[in-house]
Amino acid sequence: MTALMTRARALPGPLLLGGAILGVSLALATFPGLFAPYDPVAFDYNALSAPPDRTHLFGTDNFGRDVLSRVIHAYTIDMQIAFFSTIFSFVLGTIVGAFVGYAGGLAETIFGRIVDAVITFPFLVLVIAIVSVLGPGLINMYIAVGVVGWVFYARIIAAEIVVQKRLDYADAGRAMGYTPLRVIFRHLLPNAITPAIVYLMTDMALAILLGSSLGYLGLGAQPPTPEWGVQIAEGKNFMTTAWWISVFPGIAIVVTGLGFSLLGDGLAEVMRTRK
Amino acid sequence: MTLYVLRRLLQLFPTLAFILIVVFILVRLLPGDPTSAILGDRELDADVARINRQLGLDRSLIVQFGAFLAAVATGDLGNSITLKVSVADLIIQRMPVTILLTVMSAVIALALAVPLAFVAALRRDKASDAVIRGAFQVGLSMPVFYLGLILLTVFGARVGWFPVGGYGEGFFDHLYHLFLPALTLALSLAAILMRNLRSAIIGVVDAEYVQFARAKGIAPRLVLLRHVLRNALISTVALFGLSIGTLLGGAVITETVFAIPGAGRLMVDSIYGRDYPVVQGMTIGLAVLVSLTFLATDLFQAWLDPRVAQ
Repeated sequence: MTALMTRARALPGPLLLGGAILGVSLALATFPGLFAPYDPVAFDYNALSAPPDRTHLFGTDNFGRDVLSRVIHAYTIDMQIAFFSTIFSFVLGTIVGAFVGYAGGLAETIFGRIVDAVITFPFLVLVIAIVSVLGPGLINMYIAVGVVGWVFYARIIAAEIVVQKRLDYADAGRAMGYTPLRVIFRHLLPNAITPAIVYLMTDMALAILLGSSLGYLGLGAQPPTPEWGVQIAEGKNFMTTAWWISVFPGIAIVVTGLGFSLLGDGLAEVMRTRK
Repeated sequence: MTLYVLRRLLQLFPTLAFILIVVFILVRLLPGDPTSAILGDRELDADVARINRQLGLDRSLIVQFGAFLAAVATGDLGNSITLKVSVADLIIQRMPVTILLTVMSAVIALALAVPLAFVAALRRDKASDAVIRGAFQVGLSMPVFYLGLILLTVFGARVGWFPVGGYGEGFFDHLYHLFLPALTLALSLAAILMRNLRSAIIGVVDAEYVQFARAKGIAPRLVLLRHVLRNALISTVALFGLSIGTLLGGAVITETVFAIPGAGRLMVDSIYGRDYPVVQGMTIGLAVLVSLTFLATDLFQAWLDPRVAQ
């Protein structure tokens, strides 16, 4: 136990703080019902746009819905957004990047052109264009993000594999007669994946920003689903009279985003010191 | 250098081709088809056939793509369904607003990032460094629409220093109206640039050529500007170019929050109105704008660091 404590203390502060924030976020996302004091979609006509007090810590919105409960229930949707908008890009990008980096030559050249083309494309504009065609909603948003997002992971992994494949242990694997597949996925990839995981953390923070932006524009999660961007949009016309409707969901976005980027920074720091 | 400029210009073509292919495919994926979007409920077989022929939808995909390329090359992006004007005219009308907003926020971002990066880097690990980095970390996780809404409420509605949206009349009125939106857009970019510039400055501030410049007796301020900043800027300029796409994407949201009649707001409005030719035209317009800015930052980077061109 004490050994565990000393090891925990040796970890960088950002990692612990980020981990704590995300731990709480995950708990709220998984069991919102345990933490939310009220039903997130129940109207209370006796408390319309009530300011924060002891019965409603974050106040109520213009329909009398409890803002705190809506913010808590929105964790489920927004953490899902963080996960599903990134995981396909991460898996596909890692596989493509590993092959491209290992093969080199023509594959690398062609891939380089694809990266150039995708990187210059305004990401949000593309996602909005795709969502406008497929229709609003979260699934279509995941598709739109996945179409472009994998390129960034593939670029990171390819750059790492190019370095790793020239090292002695890669030669050793090949000399043992292992298939390229086995060398790539069992030997090279475990040594190349860390930067992609660090980027995954940043990307999850960006995904929450993107998802809530689309929700705000009416192109992502649809009302009355509690989602932070949707909630901010719902409260935007009451900013001068009932600021709490929009302000608290925004704080949830900032804190969660901060959690992901702190965890990413902390991971990067741990990896640097290990090297 | 000339060779590099030429090669870099040639690289525009695959990018432009990618943009056009993506947009072309997107339009083919439309739920229903453009014909029924134009006709609405008044769908008759004869009309469908006529409009299909008009739009060239009765021909093969390759031929259609060729016709699409030819039309785009001549600046013909079709007509808006709801506004009844040509999309090219709309781009000419709306794009300058978006460009002005983006340029203003880029200037604000640099004006914030460069001095703060210097303070943070030169007082590394002191309190001011920690405060600046903490503030920017928060800035990074702040969604553009949320920040915009708060600035709009506080400085527009409450304090009344700035207009609550709109674009105004005349150039200086435009600048005044665009200040809050540009600031909103600038903060996250400033955060990204600041973080990069801070570590770049830390990387070069003790380099031998900088020590040599100091030893020659050059004023410390000049050393910072000519030797430290110029070299630290190289990677930051590259990052700045990469961020232009994000900045323009953010402009779409900012224009919506502040009710600014730019290309981004038009695009969002056109999505609500199912005005696909406009969505398509604005996507192409914004993407081309990004590629051109990307080109400009690459050339600027090559000027800062001639090794890039080799």
